[in-house]
Amino acid sequence: MANKVTFEQRKAVDFAIIGSGSAGGILAKELSVAGFDVVVFEQGPYRRAQDFTHDEYSVLFNSELLGGGPEVSGQTFRHDGSEVAQSPQQPVIRYAQTVGGSSVHFTANFWRFRPVDFKERSLLGPISGTNFADWPITYEELEPYYTKVDWEIGVSGTPGPFDAPRSRPFPMPPLPIKSSGVLLEKAAKELGLHAQVEPLAILSQPHNGRAPCIKCGYCMFFGCEVGAKSSTLATMIPLAEASGHCEIRAESAVFRIETDGNGRASEVLYYDAAGNERAQKVKAVIISANGAETARLLLSSASERHPDGLANSSGFVGRNLMFNAHSAVDGIFEHPLNDYKGAQVSRIIHDFYETDEQRGFYGGGSIDARPLWAATPIFHALLGMPPDVPNWGRKFKEEMAHNFTRQMSIVGATTSLAVDRNNITLDPKNTDKWGRPAIRTTYRDHDDDLAMAKFLQDRASELFDAAGATKSWRHPIHPTNGGEHLLGTCRMGDDPATSVVDKHHRSHDIPNLFICDGSSFVTSGRGQPTMTIMALAFRAADHIKAAANAGDF
Amino acid sequence: MHTNKNVSRRRFLKSSGALAGVSLLRVSAPSLLAITQAACSAKQSSAAFSVLGELEAADFAAIAARIIPTTDTPGATEAGVIYFFDNAFAAEMSWALKPARAGLEVLNSGTARFSLLTEEQQDELLSAHASTDFFELLRITTIFGFFAMSKYGGNKDSVAWDLIGFEGHHGAWENPFGHYDAEYAREQSRGQ
Repeated sequence: MANKVTFEQRKAVDFAIIGSGSAGGILAKELSVAGFDVVVFEQGPYRRAQDFTHDEYSVLFNSELLGGGPEVSGQTFRHDGSEVAQSPQQPVIRYAQTVGGSSVHFTANFWRFRPVDFKERSLLGPISGTNFADWPITYEELEPYYTKVDWEIGVSGTPGPFDAPRSRPFPMPPLPIKSSGVLLEKAAKELGLHAQVEPLAILSQPHNGRAPCIKCGYCMFFGCEVGAKSSTLATMIPLAEASGHCEIRAESAVFRIETDGNGRASEVLYYDAAGNERAQKVKAVIISANGAETARLLLSSASERHPDGLANSSGFVGRNLMFNAHSAVDGIFEHPLNDYKGAQVSRIIHDFYETDEQRGFYGGGSIDARPLWAATPIFHALLGMPPDVPNWGRKFKEEMAHNFTRQMSIVGATTSLAVDRNNITLDPKNTDKWGRPAIRTTYRDHDDDLAMAKFLQDRASELFDAAGATKSWRHPIHPTNGGEHLLGTCRMGDDPATSVVDKHHRSHDIPNLFICDGSSFVTSGRGQPTMTIMALAFRAADHIKAAANAGDF
Repeated sequence: MHTNKNVSRRRFLKSSGALAGVSLLRVSAPSLLAITQAACSAKQSSAAFSVLGELEAADFAAIAARIIPTTDTPGATEAGVIYFFDNAFAAEMSWALKPARAGLEVLNSGTARFSLLTEEQQDELLSAHASTDFFELLRITTIFGFFAMSKYGGNKDSVAWDLIGFEGHHGAWENPFGHYDAEYAREQSRGQ
């Protein structure tokens, strides 16, 4: 690329952005196009669209895009603080290590939060034993940025009956309905519910010079080889690089933010591709590394002046982790759905979005229909088989052969309540392949989260019956033991005693340190956080640009 | 690095190995010769395995053939799953070679090598071991080898994908994809 730049490590660059994902990619583009010099640190490699494969064995079972499994991350997990965290076989915190971050491998389900998400605490009152709170911003403040995401990132869809007001229509029509969507819609109608189009960060038409979806079906956990999925790799990073003010420094794993004598962020310490320690001088730092990595980096940057980690005078760094709880019911139909073709989800149900006190617990959620396990063969054989069928032998084989094309799931995704015990901390023993303290996750869903998951599962079973499934079965709901939605660990708020960043994503403690990603969330939403992460990033960029231009940090 | 790989793998295999019960199968028993011949022809050449010895390969192939048996449609044998075993145990699943061999030794501690038993005897023996980590390892590896892309050694000529109606990994599809969305499209066009 003609405008490719590299910046000297010893000369302070305007901004170091840690992470190139949903938030980092947008901040990089916004700031570099505005003329600020930016270095983006990404620990994973710089894969391009043509590097992505449909290799299920490698991507789903050998953690190709995740940077390897727990053997290299050292990640540990426990349900509560009284347990010693263990190293599980599968990654606990699942995020892509690649330029574009998890926006590369996410499923691209993509809806806006509603006004209620930002002020639920005021509407419902306190919930004891939790850190349930209002956001310091409203839907109305974020709306212009949701619209910016629609048009700059690229979203296909059409409004549903319960959607929040929008200032502009969707930039393009939805992708085609799938058999799973047809069956969900039919069942919803019968039960008096409202199936609506699932908005997707996947192009249905050419947009901003990008090609539309080829309906290959490899969205969930895979990278898009035609760039139709609206990752920051496909949308923002090329614009950032073309500005001549942005260097994407891939395979560079940040392990510490150094502060100077005035308590300001001054240097980013990282390991380069060869594992050598490097240091980049900075004028300001933005951490957009995801709700787990961001917390780890802040905690790992403890110093005499910041004994509990950077930006952590509140003790809220790493706390209030929210994953969204999930439930799934699988079902089989008489005729083939071939639901492995096309994007995962085409229809959703948002009738249960809001908290209904008659249910007896806090929370709301979403329902969608998708192939899930039946999107790829190994996944299906290992996880998608009915419980009453033997898991080897002739019957097993017959069942796989019959079900694969006829199967779909109805998935429920719920709110998660913010509680102290759910958090990211540094593992006392384990390290990752770079030698950084490993991410230790402690998590047990609030009872209300699991009650909501159960509620949605009951609805899913009813939907399968109404849709005429020949058979359906529930996956037992267990306490969540890992996830992709990494929310709440550096929450935003007006009060420095109970939040990490202010409403403009500036850390309360350090004037030139900003934090923007899923960690900024105060509440969890109903299962699809990425669009809100991106809207927050566009909004944060406006405030950071204004502050920088005013010499305000 | 303080992670204990073996312990964690063990736990994974345990947790994913819920087995309700296995019905005994009554199919005619192809001989060891037939199995090895099919496996050899599955790979274009009969080149030697890279980590597996011939005898243990025959046993692993026979186990895989009971997990996904040959019926009126191809099974693990025709897919050449044993070549996946050999490749994977030499590379990304090298951690599994030792436990697989140890488990096989236990399985073979009876009267005869596994591959020399009749299919009924094999199923009986596997049923007795169905709750072991060893069996779960072999089961998962067989499924990997059956369905993973052919470049990993198994799924020869995409027989596994053909079996389940999966049209392959390189598709750019056009809707309608399935029965119900096709029907929906017909209704929509009638309605207009």
